[in-house]
Amino acid sequence: MTGTQATIPAQQRRSGAARQMLLAFASLIALVIGFSLASPNFFQVSNIMAILQATSVNGVLAVGVTLIIITGGIDLSIGTLMTFCAVMTGVVLTWAGMPLILGVLTAIGTGAACGLVSGMFVARMKIPPFIATLGMMLMLKGLSLIVTGTKPIYFNDTPGFTQIAQGSVVGALIPGLPLPNGVLILFLVAAVTAWILGRTVLGRYTFALGSNEEAVRLSGVNTDAWKMAIYALAGGIVGIGGLLISSRLNSAQPALGLGYELEAIAAVVIGGTSLAGGRGTILGTLIGALIMSVLTNGLRVLSVAPEWQTVVTGAIIIVAVYADQLRRRKASQG
Amino acid sequence: MSDLVRMQGIDKRFPGVHALRAVDFDLRAGEVHALMGENGAGKSTLMKCLSGVYQPDGGRILIDGAAVALPNPRAAQDLGIGIIHQELALMRDLNVAQNIWIGREPRLSLGRIDEARLNADAAAIFRGMNVAMDPRAPVAALTIARQQMVEIAKALSFRSRVLIMDEPTAALNDSEIAELFTIIRRLRAEGVGIIYISHKMDEIRRIADRVTVMRDGATVGTVQAAETPIAQIIAMMVGRELVDEPVAIPDLSAAECALELRGITRGREVRDVSFSLKRGEILGFAGLMGAGRTELARAIFGAEPPESGEIIVHGRPVTIRSPADAVRAGIGYLSEDRKHYGLALGMDVRANIALASLARYTDRLGRIDEQELAAVSNRYIDMLSIRTPHDRQEVRLLSGGNQQKVVIAKWLLRDCDILIFDEPTRGIDVGAKAEIHRLLADLAGQGKAIIVISSELPELLRLSHRIAVMCEGRLTGILPGGASQERIMALATRREGMAAE
Amino acid sequence: MFTRRNLLGAVAALSLAGMATSASAQDAMYIPLISKGFQHQFWQAVKAGADKAGEELGVNVSFEGPDNETQVDKQLDMLAAALANKPAAIGFAALDSQAAIPQLRQAQEAGIPVIAFDSGVDSDIPVALAATDNIAAAAMAADKLAELIGGAGKVAVVAHDQTSRTGVDRRDGFVNRMKEAHPDVEIVAIEYGGGDHLKSTEITKALLTANPDLKGIFGTNEGSAIGVVNGVTEAGASDVVIVGYDSGKAQTDAIRDGRMAGAITQNPVGIGYETVKAAVAAARGEQVQASIDTGFYWYDKSNIDAPEIAAVLYD
Repeated sequence: MTGTQATIPAQQRRSGAARQMLLAFASLIALVIGFSLASPNFFQVSNIMAILQATSVNGVLAVGVTLIIITGGIDLSIGTLMTFCAVMTGVVLTWAGMPLILGVLTAIGTGAACGLVSGMFVARMKIPPFIATLGMMLMLKGLSLIVTGTKPIYFNDTPGFTQIAQGSVVGALIPGLPLPNGVLILFLVAAVTAWILGRTVLGRYTFALGSNEEAVRLSGVNTDAWKMAIYALAGGIVGIGGLLISSRLNSAQPALGLGYELEAIAAVVIGGTSLAGGRGTILGTLIGALIMSVLTNGLRVLSVAPEWQTVVTGAIIIVAVYADQLRRRKASQG
Repeated sequence: MSDLVRMQGIDKRFPGVHALRAVDFDLRAGEVHALMGENGAGKSTLMKCLSGVYQPDGGRILIDGAAVALPNPRAAQDLGIGIIHQELALMRDLNVAQNIWIGREPRLSLGRIDEARLNADAAAIFRGMNVAMDPRAPVAALTIARQQMVEIAKALSFRSRVLIMDEPTAALNDSEIAELFTIIRRLRAEGVGIIYISHKMDEIRRIADRVTVMRDGATVGTVQAAETPIAQIIAMMVGRELVDEPVAIPDLSAAECALELRGITRGREVRDVSFSLKRGEILGFAGLMGAGRTELARAIFGAEPPESGEIIVHGRPVTIRSPADAVRAGIGYLSEDRKHYGLALGMDVRANIALASLARYTDRLGRIDEQELAAVSNRYIDMLSIRTPHDRQEVRLLSGGNQQKVVIAKWLLRDCDILIFDEPTRGIDVGAKAEIHRLLADLAGQGKAIIVISSELPELLRLSHRIAVMCEGRLTGILPGGASQERIMALATRREGMAAE
Repeated sequence: MFTRRNLLGAVAALSLAGMATSASAQDAMYIPLISKGFQHQFWQAVKAGADKAGEELGVNVSFEGPDNETQVDKQLDMLAAALANKPAAIGFAALDSQAAIPQLRQAQEAGIPVIAFDSGVDSDIPVALAATDNIAAAAMAADKLAELIGGAGKVAVVAHDQTSRTGVDRRDGFVNRMKEAHPDVEIVAIEYGGGDHLKSTEITKALLTANPDLKGIFGTNEGSAIGVVNGVTEAGASDVVIVGYDSGKAQTDAIRDGRMAGAITQNPVGIGYETVKAAVAAARGEQVQASIDTGFYWYDKSNIDAPEIAAVLYD
């Protein structure tokens, strides 16, 4: 009896986390079934592809910010950073006429560099993440407008650029499944990030920092350096988001981006990642992002007034987090 | 025996505090050197200097006779100095093995972690400690005692030659303490030098070779543990002699019944508990860890309300669904974890004392009458002899004993006449302990009804007019004050049949 | 426990879905309009015109737009959702003249005619454009402002947007006309407030601080114009002549009490009405005029209550 006592809650915890994932997934399926029953036009290949396409950018941003949130931080700059990465890609491709691959590297590199700067504000200068990234958010928005002279940069001179998000490698292989590349990239980014979180030292420190930063520091880990690395990785992922949105729009829109951070954070939260840090999964975030876009698309297909769409989305966020709270309360009692 | 560690003239200042004044300390290989002193005496600060957390402002540290610099914890670890912090420094969301090897994960290519080796190495350490522990168990799911084992395993994993243990037994029960001492003795035999910080005198006698006592940031002296009477060590610590009186049990036959419980049940932790408590009585609660004493207290206080049963206060049945209900009924709860549940650490003494009674000092516009509050809080500071420069001092800067007194003041001000103390002297030094004990006796003398939960039997025996014993959620018996330890332990281990599983 | 909660959520979602479908029974022709926004009064007036045409012609009309005019990709998602519903025809006011082309091509392949409204796209897919001639309208604003300040002095433009067609056309129409016809008027600044009242207010105050001798300001849409009025009022520069664009309660009030000299009004009700009318015609395979000029008017204190003006103003 006494011997097993310690392991019982451990198992409960594990199954609790799995149940939370299942819960989110079940909600997603329930939404899909509900909308499919409500409208014959919802469950069509083209509409499902549209939903996935709409998830790709928010999903990638959400994956990036999940890392930061697990460390117990927050990143408000991801929306405008995405735009800034898109703008820098435009500068390299359209203005300088460089080859496509350099544009791709620019987007990721710009994201990682800006992430590193945010990380430096947070880790070295000890500015609270909320403030540091709020500052970054505004600086990057301004820089995007300055660099572009407030006009969008179009990618008409770079053939193939729109293929990054809009083309379909899968569709070329399987004709019935025109899965946009943007979605494929989202899944790849999610898979790689999940691998990093679960298998590598960087991932381990991400959880450890969010769990008890002081304890990590006392264990002799250079917490500042690792935190900066995590912000840089998240920035690089956001850079990929910048590529996707600019490829989708065939342009870098300098005024875009504000508000995207909150949508990404909402997806992370719906996916069960705790804003308190230390806990979270990429799969959950992915499901959270899908729930959000299924919801918006479904309500639109049903011609629900846009005002009500906003209300419902807000309510879903509250319900999702409340369900998580209930689960946790249950787990802590068990 | 050569000196493994020699600290000479260590000086450390913090803003407003001269924490260490030219402290000398040495540790030999293969000895257990106890470091004692009241809270705030500078023990932890000294050890943080030795483990690279703080940098001393003056003096020098020699390891094996050579002066070393310890700019960060990593440098200390590399020199073989391991520390088990008093506040457990674990990452709750990580599992046991991940916690032990944090910062030193065995890596494969691409920054991948070799989980298999990580778990195997952790398992090997626990085997060596003779502790059954699943390396994959999440730390948050472990009891505090098990978490302590993880800390020790972590320190051992450094192959430390110097091991600093800051109150390692604070949350351990007797068999766990015995296990720990076995481990300590084996390490000592292997030539490890162990610095052992504790307030528990009996432990010092059992495990320590030498004792160094600190007071007010300076060394008072170093003595041989075996030859020095405990009274002398205590005198060195507090600077005066303490007298240990046996409990005087008052005649309460005429006293009014303050609190009565009938069949209180909550899940498996609290099962069908009934007892009554009179005004002026101190009822001690004994039991092993996990016996359900804290859970019972939290059920009475409404923090986790009971599922069934009746609570009767001053003859009237009350419904307690939340702490607010309990406070209204005049029940105050002093949690075992003051820092988490009892105090707003960043706020000042005055604000903390007033926290539960603010409504009384607030006018209709919501303005707080600070003048009145100042008078009130100063009255309690005097009454309970809370040692603080003034009532605007932040509570986190006070010592543990004085923090505890602030919590007591808070509930007294709220007119609570039923007070539940959960581990009232945990982490509090001897001098302050005696003072808290006297305070509890005084409160009972004034007619308060008091419940004390403590894991230290001597403390319960010294304080309680009656002793209630719990085991696995049930109340297994109530003994008169001064009952023998054997009878208490018999009740504390009286399980309900053997067919539990 | 949790599964039950979960089911409840699903049921709630379904019942909501049920309500929505019954509201848009699919027997009549379905025409979605994807606009640039829906919160501003201008778009609500467009919507009113569209609804009116829908009622008259017996078709189902829906109207949707993103929260603000920078959200180009959100608009694309709306377009995609609208296409999923297999509409008879679609009305579209592009936030970016290029970004939507893949979706429009998809519509074209599905045989769904597209009517552009308010601003066009760089493509020949839309069969018609129902819009105000913004260049001519802004030129008229330039003429009026020049006349009101006596043909000489410094003026500024507070524009709503630097990327959309309307923003560019109104700015350029105003600037070019000023240069050509009124050489003594100097345009000292062109600022962008995103059509946001507050931002435009701050911009205006900054302009007045930088140019104390400013004689007139042109606000290029409803939000910008109101922002300019607020900014001038807050700065206490009551002698600055303000010319606005569009209408709305705040703007018509400002014109009535003299804080604003006058404004250009488009015919938003007409834009919505003509868009739906053209969409129905295109869906039925009828010939549609490629460029539908929905008209514009200058209005000020003197003619604000005239029937032909009052009919196109909205509150």
